[in-house]
Amino acid sequence: MTRTSVTSESFGPQVNSYLIDNPLWPFCKGCGHTMVIRRINEALVSLQLQPQDVALVTDIGCIGMSDGLFRAIHTVHTTHGRSTAFATGIALADSVLAEKKLKTIVLIGDGGAMIGLQHLVHAAMLNVDVTVLICNNFVYGMTGGQGSGFTPECFVTATTPDGNIVPPVDICEMLMSSNAAFVGRTIATDKELTSLIAQAIAYPGFAALEILELCTEFAVPQNELTGTKLLAVAEQNGWSMGLLRAGTDRPPFGKKYLDNILTKPTQSPRKSAVRKNLPKPMGIDGPVSLMIVGSAGEKVQSAAATLCQAAVASGLRVTQKNDNPVTQGSGFSLSEVWLSPEEIGFTGIDRPDYLVILSTDGYRELVERGVLLRLGNTTKVYIDESIDVPVEHGKVKRHAYRKLFGPTLAAVGALVHIARLNRLVDSEALDGAVQPRLKNDAPKFNQAMEQLMGKS
Amino acid sequence: MAEGAIQAGCAFFAGYPITPATGIFKAMIDELPSRKGLALSAPDEISAIAYCIGASMRGFKSMTATSGPGWALMTESVQYALMTETPLVIALVQRLGPSTGGATQGSQGDVLLAEYCTSGGYTIPILCPTNARECFELTILAFTWAEILRMPVIVLSDKEIAMTTESVDYESLPQMTSQDRPKNSAFVEFGEYDKERKNGTYYFHALHEIPIFSPVGGSRKVTATGSAHDKAGTLQKNSPETIDVLAHLEEKLLWRADDFVAVKQDLDPAAETLVISYGISSRAAQDAVRQSRKSGAKVSMLTIQSLFPVPRKKLRQATEGVKRVIVVEENLRGLYRSVIERYLGPIQVRGVNKIGAMITPAEIRSVIEGAV
Repeated sequence: MTRTSVTSESFGPQVNSYLIDNPLWPFCKGCGHTMVIRRINEALVSLQLQPQDVALVTDIGCIGMSDGLFRAIHTVHTTHGRSTAFATGIALADSVLAEKKLKTIVLIGDGGAMIGLQHLVHAAMLNVDVTVLICNNFVYGMTGGQGSGFTPECFVTATTPDGNIVPPVDICEMLMSSNAAFVGRTIATDKELTSLIAQAIAYPGFAALEILELCTEFAVPQNELTGTKLLAVAEQNGWSMGLLRAGTDRPPFGKKYLDNILTKPTQSPRKSAVRKNLPKPMGIDGPVSLMIVGSAGEKVQSAAATLCQAAVASGLRVTQKNDNPVTQGSGFSLSEVWLSPEEIGFTGIDRPDYLVILSTDGYRELVERGVLLRLGNTTKVYIDESIDVPVEHGKVKRHAYRKLFGPTLAAVGALVHIARLNRLVDSEALDGAVQPRLKNDAPKFNQAMEQLMGKS
Repeated sequence: MAEGAIQAGCAFFAGYPITPATGIFKAMIDELPSRKGLALSAPDEISAIAYCIGASMRGFKSMTATSGPGWALMTESVQYALMTETPLVIALVQRLGPSTGGATQGSQGDVLLAEYCTSGGYTIPILCPTNARECFELTILAFTWAEILRMPVIVLSDKEIAMTTESVDYESLPQMTSQDRPKNSAFVEFGEYDKERKNGTYYFHALHEIPIFSPVGGSRKVTATGSAHDKAGTLQKNSPETIDVLAHLEEKLLWRADDFVAVKQDLDPAAETLVISYGISSRAAQDAVRQSRKSGAKVSMLTIQSLFPVPRKKLRQATEGVKRVIVVEENLRGLYRSVIERYLGPIQVRGVNKIGAMITPAEIRSVIEGAV
């Protein structure tokens, strides 16, 4: 069914009201919320939006009782402060994944705006097509008139019985500093309110209007507030009134995402890197475990990944677990690798079949973990000759990995050396994984490797 | 998980960095745009999940990923997704807790924190992979469950699975697809509302029926709310219809619970001992069972992939003739054991539990091969 036919069948060419007939207003007599709802309806009528193209997302509190007043339009009643975030999700999906047709309007109070500040800030930063109407009556009405982050100084509320001593937030300033494109502040009785709301809704990006209102139940009696005094409250707090920013050239998030990010070519499904029906590498009868330790920044983990890549290309299953101190750039660096012809179960290594120690940082970590004490006599230990420490268990071999390959290639050098000596992976697969990573270092690396293999 | 999500048709991802779940976030940022999807960074986990729920309400399959500390922030909106019957998949990658705990240490400590995150203790489906391949398969299944049931579904992984690189043969992965939520796109007069309320956002006849989804922006008016409501989505205090809606939120899953089961059975009809495990610990348990069998032990193994709803029938089948059950999980109190114990009758139940490191096959074997 097309949108035009919806119009002709259900609303006719002209929508006169989006509200239910003869609504029972849920708000107190004189409450600003009633005025705001009427002005929203008038704004929608002036824009003649199709009801199914409007989503009203409401927050918690008195203002959140507005959903039922609307006959048409989608309504989404949400949780406290989160209305803007849910609306942002709706608008993001609409603008990138759907037809970009929705106008999403958030109705939120001052309490909701305070608890949900982050969502307002981020919606403004993203510049999503969401219009937020912040109905600021300076108090939490539904729960009994407690002060909010928007309560003016000296205001008497249930939680500031001696007068508020904390100055309020200026939400418009905050949103403008978050790059909000359309920002205004007015009072609920403003004759221009309908037009302001209509402009805000029509604006194709983030728009926020702060509407100062009376809470007749709590704010009015305690503070001798009247409708005419709202402007004075604004002045005392130094709040600028009217349309403070009437749109910018900045494109909304959806347009930027479509233009800059969704232009990537569509990917084809991944191809398997496994070569089928290869003979099992000679050195692999069952699962084999290998642990390599060195220093952060010396490409230990990426060297282990290269070995794993070669193993996968040799038809083996692999797992690789890495570890390093939380800050990643200092101390030890460690990888634990399993190579296996069968599916790998437990991925931990209690007593490795192969152990490679490339630096003192790494050695210290092994001592810390007690790995060296657990070594069996069959463990093959390859240790860089620069580390002058005793290793009492296992079959220990010392090689000049760091000297021959340099510190950043020592790890890959050691692993290629060990893999070739022990035939852990297919040699063609090993070359295929290692050579592309070496780039300009390839001749030097290969020469060093020949020297090392010649000695072994 | 990201590959699974994409294959399932996930079109929207919002995330916030947290170890050990960041890999999923990064993969979605890298992969989703080339599949014409939307992946973005949220300013916190609360926003991340709210963006996903909004996108799902608009009609698109959505997912987020987090770990324990982020999950704590998300539970408000998980409840909202449950109450508004919004499909959503959440990857919860466990790390050691409580609080910020250990970011790079594994754990299976969030099992009950995840399941019992709602006021009222509503059953939230939890799928629990044991390896990279199952991350793919169970994420697709999670989308199907979320879409069919119209509710949040959790894929519960952990650091040792998420941060261990593991080979997967892409070509051997099943060509699974995820089902889409049935959508109500038929035209109805907008805003009109018939006597039987069949156009209501949450309309069902019998309690177990799942309301047909209408997207915000579709041709049926949506009246969504996280507050107690009738079938039309109208705010209500405690009318009988509202209580029905609350009962329906549980009933829609329990009524079809037998269809929402995923387990791996390795049963020996002569077994006196049954080992039950899930997630990362089940890999060690499977190794232990294999080794113990070699030394003559009569032992069965049940790996539970669908932790919730509890696969009661499968538990019953697996425990037939068994004298004792050993539940292996990486937390101190035996969290899942405390849930399934009540279904095991007079069978002796004991746990193998530990935190700070993966439970080893040797630790499990010593219990399997110990005296009954």
